[in-house]
Amino acid sequence: MEKKTTFSNCLQIIPKTSFLRPEELITHRHVEFEAHSGGLKRTQNEVSAAELEELQRAQDSLRAQLSVPRIERLGGRALARWQEKQQVAEVIRKDGKFENFGYSNQGKLYLEYYEALFLLEVGRLQLEYYETIVSVEQAYVLLLGELESEKYEHYLVYSALSRAGYIVVKHQPQRLAQPAVTSEDCIWALLKAKVQSQPVPEHIKDSPFYTLVEKRMEDVKDIIVSQKIEASPVREEAIDFHFDTQKRKAPAEPSKEPATKRAKFCPTGQSLVDQLKNETSYAKFEKLFQKFDIVQLEGKDYTTDESIDCPLKITFDLHLHNEGFKKSSPKAPAFNVIILPPRFDFPHHKQISNILKFHTAPLLVVSVSESKQIQAFLYHIS
Amino acid sequence: MFTFQCKRKRCPYKSFNFSPFPICENGESYQGTFSGFSVEIQDPVQAQSLYDNGCFGKGSKSRGGPASGDADETLLLGLEESCFLAFYLEVLSIEDLSGSVMDFQAFLTAAKQLNERFVENLACYLYLKSKNWVIKSGIKFGGDFLIYKQSPRLYHASFLVTVQTPCDVDYYQSKNLKGVQRVAETSDKDVLLLRVAQAGDVSRPEHLQEITVTETIVRRFNYSTFVQSKQQQ
Repeated sequence: MEKKTTFSNCLQIIPKTSFLRPEELITHRHVEFEAHSGGLKRTQNEVSAAELEELQRAQDSLRAQLSVPRIERLGGRALARWQEKQQVAEVIRKDGKFENFGYSNQGKLYLEYYEALFLLEVGRLQLEYYETIVSVEQAYVLLLGELESEKYEHYLVYSALSRAGYIVVKHQPQRLAQPAVTSEDCIWALLKAKVQSQPVPEHIKDSPFYTLVEKRMEDVKDIIVSQKIEASPVREEAIDFHFDTQKRKAPAEPSKEPATKRAKFCPTGQSLVDQLKNETSYAKFEKLFQKFDIVQLEGKDYTTDESIDCPLKITFDLHLHNEGFKKSSPKAPAFNVIILPPRFDFPHHKQISNILKFHTAPLLVVSVSESKQIQAFLYHIS
Repeated sequence: MFTFQCKRKRCPYKSFNFSPFPICENGESYQGTFSGFSVEIQDPVQAQSLYDNGCFGKGSKSRGGPASGDADETLLLGLEESCFLAFYLEVLSIEDLSGSVMDFQAFLTAAKQLNERFVENLACYLYLKSKNWVIKSGIKFGGDFLIYKQSPRLYHASFLVTVQTPCDVDYYQSKNLKGVQRVAETSDKDVLLLRVAQAGDVSRPEHLQEITVTETIVRRFNYSTFVQSKQQQ
């Protein structure tokens, strides 16, 4: 649009870029086309003039539909460069929040192929490849590869679950680290050392709480021995100590959580249909019931031989938005996702129990059908 | 924690007094005839008693228990339930058509001819029965059993049970499992997959104790509703 200035010497300024009026922006953003209906579906060419004309009309309307100038926000778009070798997109310029996307490596932020494609589709990313901007269509080939692979299914699941409102991250194997030493552990270890003269274990001695607890114990001992009631210094120290634990306790929490979650979601070795045993009729006839209670539930078995031939792996972890997800220190996920490609059989009990042995979150089996429909299934096993 | 549906029926049997098993006094037992297809109870009193106590069998002229009132209506017992009544609860004696009493071995051979997976089915029947479920045929919903709390008169079935052996994996085919799951879900049931580990040679009733079972329940999960409900909290 031209902008005229009507000052004394009538200087005319024509801006290099053109801008639309707000009304034009709105009308252009939502251009709606009605699909042209051509009656019943035909499968063979008639090669008649009427048909040729109809084809021409259909093509013209398609062209008109595709050649409408698209209006999109210029800002709000991050810039990334596709690294073919590593199959990741390196973020050059961030725009907006990226807290649930990508991972950092040596100070650089990288996006996985599915993250880059998803951001590209929702219009938050501009992807460049050898200095050229990649279109969405090109990105499909570039990021998912030209050959058929599981990448497309993984992307579909990622996109569907992200749009549904989950935080989807690449599955991270749970660290099977020892639970972090708390000040409580130090107190018990010290008590055992004093009372039962057991040596204090090394990993407790290394804990940052150890010296604090030891000192506090000595102080308390002094007070008891000397019988002086000097409240103020002790209280001060207690407060000090309290703050200290709170600060250091925070990172220890995620590793503690699985213990309770496991009990909640993975009742391996327990029947799921036992509830009717609480009925009065069961108590009344208990002896009779026990008489033929001979077929038993298969208990836990720790054979790992079958884990090798299990083709299914956990691909993603799901987190919920309102649970305070942090990329750097993720808590235990809400779900683990296994993607079931089309024509794959559902996993059976042994495969699931093998997977659950190492994981604590409920398993979500997401099946991608041949028509690329996505359906999630939740497993409960004995 | 896993919970399941136990939906009460809207029915007039509010104060239905039931017992999970038919009890025989003075060593008497029910008399059944193996017809080559199922075990028939001819005596109407015995038939009624078997159906009232534990909901065993099906009336030959009725949808549920014998209710037509015809004198020639018999109670038809399925293979698993008649085997359970005869050789585990020991309240039923089964005769073949020639009139001689069938023992466990003879019944097993006959039943295996009708259903090659009879031993696996029987193991699952016993497994569920010992947990106080009422078990009926699941053929209507494309499974092996339907299991009810207390009685089919009072409750809707909670589970559709399918019995599997380790060698048949057809059930885990995506379309089959989704299909059976959909059928069950439309009537508020869950699919319970019981996997029976190798049934060895069974020649006596107590040989079944070597069999173990694993349970798997697969439920369709609406991920978008779930996340929305979590966000509203």
